[in-house]
Amino acid sequence: MSRFEDLVDRNGLSGEDEARLRRVHELLVQAGPPPDLPPALERPPSAPSVASAPSDDDAEILQFPLLPRRRWPIVAVAAALVALVVFGGGYLTGHSKKKASSFETTFVVPMSGHNSVAFLRVAARDSAGNAPMELEVNNLPTQKKKTDYYELWLTRDGKAIAPCGSFRVNQRNTTVRLSVPYDFKRFEGWVVTKQTAAHPAPGPVVMST
Amino acid sequence: MQLVTSDGELIQRAATGDRSAFEDLYHRYARPVFGLALRRLGDRGRAEDAVQETFASIWRSAGSYKPDRGPGAPWLYAVARNAIVDRARARSEMPADIPDEAAPGPGPGERAEQSWVAWRVHRALEELPEREREVLALAYWSGLSQSEVAQFLGIPLGTVKTRTRAALAKLSEILGDDVE
Repeated sequence: MSRFEDLVDRNGLSGEDEARLRRVHELLVQAGPPPDLPPALERPPSAPSVASAPSDDDAEILQFPLLPRRRWPIVAVAAALVALVVFGGGYLTGHSKKKASSFETTFVVPMSGHNSVAFLRVAARDSAGNAPMELEVNNLPTQKKKTDYYELWLTRDGKAIAPCGSFRVNQRNTTVRLSVPYDFKRFEGWVVTKQTAAHPAPGPVVMST
Repeated sequence: MQLVTSDGELIQRAATGDRSAFEDLYHRYARPVFGLALRRLGDRGRAEDAVQETFASIWRSAGSYKPDRGPGAPWLYAVARNAIVDRARARSEMPADIPDEAAPGPGPGERAEQSWVAWRVHRALEELPEREREVLALAYWSGLSQSEVAQFLGIPLGTVKTRTRAALAKLSEILGDDVE
């Protein structure tokens, strides 16, 4: 890094002006170089979420594209049947009682993995735009270390993009409450990854839609 | 140097659905937001997503900006910071193993101050003419000497020094109170 004296011709500068330029010099050094914008960011966003004028609809539930709202009961039943086959008859009866809770499901996303299934229930967004979710996981292996955990992600182009919350399991059936502000239309699906301290997120996928 | 249109005015116009005002804001702040996200998240892909999220938030919430509470730059900074922190927080490790001792290096207050300085400086650089911005970038961050900068640009050494001084003077005006 060059010194101020090497960079600036000080001839004719008043003491006050030189002090100001020195201060700017220090700020430039402190700030460091601005990054080069990647090609994807060279133009303003033109996605529908930004191209249209702000409106009250922004806070409304945005339907997960793979599961239209009118289809969610069918999907839920199909997924429950899968669970019935995998885990036995106790599954449906046990969970029909839980639906009496105050969590008002808008749509359900079934997920599955090796010997495991999960149901992600998504509720209507609150006034701030947060979508409450309840993730019910069955038969995921318990963590080997206390630093290990699982994480739910939204995916795009087959990649885990947006983290939706971390959780641990300590029994056969674990239910956790999560909340995300994302626009679901921007994503394609969901996955659960296994996270360990040794590997950066996202870790290996253990469940997916 | 006075901006033709202030950040605050652009935010207010964006709140009414003025797309061109939003684009002006984007061109002024895309690089500072990306720089902030990159420093905080340490990953270009995630930083890109944070920029997209930031400007989506600006578009959605521009109506919440109150000019009587301050100029636009701090409001934009807060929106960007919130979007970036949300992403970083969701990726943090489990709290089970938080170390007992504080990590070395700058604390949260110093980090915030550094981020704000970088934000203001990078924003101000966007106001400079391209030829002056180029000279500053080469002089400060390329590792070239002034003579090498002159050779690289094919201009006399005196011109490099003149442009450097002029650029610093303009930055001083744009940054205003930050230089006091």
